[in-house]
Amino acid sequence: MSTQDDDMPLAILHTDEDHGPAPEKAGFLPIETNWFDRVFISVVIWVALSLFWFRFMEPAGLTIWISNAIALALACLIVTRG
Amino acid sequence: MHPNKLGWLLLAPTMLILFLFGVVPFFYVIWVSFHQWNPFAADPSMIFNWASNYRQLVFDAQFMASLGVTLAFVFFAVLSELVIGYLLAQAFMKDFPGKAFFRTIHTLPLIMAPIIVGSIWKLMTTPSIGIIPSLLDSWFGYNLNIGQSAMAAFITTVVMDIWHWTPLVTLSLIAALVSLPADPFEQAQIDGANKRQIFWHITLPMIRPAIIATVFIRLMDAMRTVDEVLMLTGGGPGSATRYVGVHIFKEVFPRTNYGYGSAISVIVLYLTIVVCWLLYVGLIAPRNTKKG
Amino acid sequence: MKRSNPWLMVLFWVIISFLTLFPIYWLFVISVKPAVDLFSTPDIWLTKVYWQNYIDVLNDRTLRGYMMNSLIISSGNAVLCTTLGFLTCYALSRFNLPGKESIFFWTITNRMAPPAVFLLPMYLLLTQVYRVGDFALADTRIGMILVYCTFNLPFAIWTLRPTLDGIPRELDEAAYVDGASPLRVIVEVVFPLARPGLAVTLILTWVFAWNEYLLAATLTNFNARTLTTGLSEYVTTTGTEWGIMAAISVFTLIPALIVFSLVQRHIVTGLTFGAVKG
Repeated sequence: MSTQDDDMPLAILHTDEDHGPAPEKAGFLPIETNWFDRVFISVVIWVALSLFWFRFMEPAGLTIWISNAIALALACLIVTRG
Repeated sequence: MHPNKLGWLLLAPTMLILFLFGVVPFFYVIWVSFHQWNPFAADPSMIFNWASNYRQLVFDAQFMASLGVTLAFVFFAVLSELVIGYLLAQAFMKDFPGKAFFRTIHTLPLIMAPIIVGSIWKLMTTPSIGIIPSLLDSWFGYNLNIGQSAMAAFITTVVMDIWHWTPLVTLSLIAALVSLPADPFEQAQIDGANKRQIFWHITLPMIRPAIIATVFIRLMDAMRTVDEVLMLTGGGPGSATRYVGVHIFKEVFPRTNYGYGSAISVIVLYLTIVVCWLLYVGLIAPRNTKKG
Repeated sequence: MKRSNPWLMVLFWVIISFLTLFPIYWLFVISVKPAVDLFSTPDIWLTKVYWQNYIDVLNDRTLRGYMMNSLIISSGNAVLCTTLGFLTCYALSRFNLPGKESIFFWTITNRMAPPAVFLLPMYLLLTQVYRVGDFALADTRIGMILVYCTFNLPFAIWTLRPTLDGIPRELDEAAYVDGASPLRVIVEVVFPLARPGLAVTLILTWVFAWNEYLLAATLTNFNARTLTTGLSEYVTTTGTEWGIMAAISVFTLIPALIVFSLVQRHIVTGLTFGAVKG
């Protein structure tokens, strides 16, 4: 009943990252990333910043476009230099 | 010698189905979330309204409360499961008669439908029907009423989750413990290390990958818990157990406010993805790169 | 490790097993009690068994219909997912398709999304977008079979991949050399060898579809309602028919218990699926 093979669900966790020819390079981000990761990080930051802006900055009279501009600038920085 | 065309042909039905029921809903919900759309409103058509839904959402106290209780639930449930699961896994590492039999029984809750687990615990805890309130009353004089006490309802959902999912943690950790080499432990005992030192300096670092993976799996599952809680408490009393999934099902979906509901769905999806990704990057990826 | 008394461990595990089994036993106790006995002091021991709740459930035409729907939807979904998963894994393991590992990864991610998030888009798509004339996919068995593919198809692909990868390529290459058509190779060479893996996949996808509640509750009204949604219909604010509810629960539980005895050792592998794959 307790053979070895039925106890190995965690084997999948050790898969090697062999997919994708996307070049990984070291930038200022603390992890190694390819271009897809950097775009993903930028989008995540953009959404978080927008939500934060809606909640705290917009009632103070600052338009959302400021946050969008900041997010865009950050995105450019992350995608090119990350 | 095989033309790749045949390969694509074999893949086509799968990709078509997953496209129609996986990719399309994903982009569709994002698209709808930028619209005002309520078929029973004065204007039932879809009107593009930029990010107004999201603007409304960040001030939605109900939704924020739901996020808060979800976090509390996930934290307490996963932490208890990890501790209990580890202790049980250690208990399985010794030899005793009937080990395989007990292990089989321990696995049983895993295959049960979440909705059935909810219904079972409802029958266990409903006052005057369930056995738990009457026992608590006669032993401790404590009056358990999950329909009224927010704390009792919350704890009951956590206990239910522990009952349902601890076996998964136990079995994963058994797999990890079984595959540990014996040498370091023997060496440590020769060196005179005590039990606690062995645990912190040898066992824990060696099974760390398995622990992280298990926590990851349990976190994702706990965050999307709906059926059990819906059945057990229906999200109540008040909003004490209205976890995000329950919130969407009970408060958002029936309102037919499609645009706003989509915005909430998108944010829940966003949070799920970000949490998983952070965990992956922070805990799992470093191990892989170190190895490679 | 310190040597401990094995009988102490047995006692410990008897207690743990009791805690595991008691709630299930309690479900059974409630299901065989007449309604009038329910509200007295809860009794742990069964003094007499009262089967009327089960008879009521079986005599209820609506519930019989739900049971039929559950049976058809889970069976259809299990067969569809296992078949498609088999073909997909065959393609992934035998052909040098560009980007196939990305495709494999993408199919897996479909399972990771929380179902609650997809309630609304699925509902809107099935009622309004995926329709031909008057025929919409919502509240149809075929619609539910397709919707359940979002979580079961990735699962099937994931469990079948090692099976297919484990079958030596040389076998089907040899058959191709003998002039067999791809269809014959798949049916006569690969299929028999993959049968054990296919059986496990079929059983587990079946039980996952059988257990599903959330999507069934939102995407069906009457025609394709399943047993799990029938269960929740007996819990209302005006009063719950506890005995009937328990009896339906037992009916829903039975297939899962049968499955449990069949594929017990594969369950953990199945459930840890899809959580981490990089």
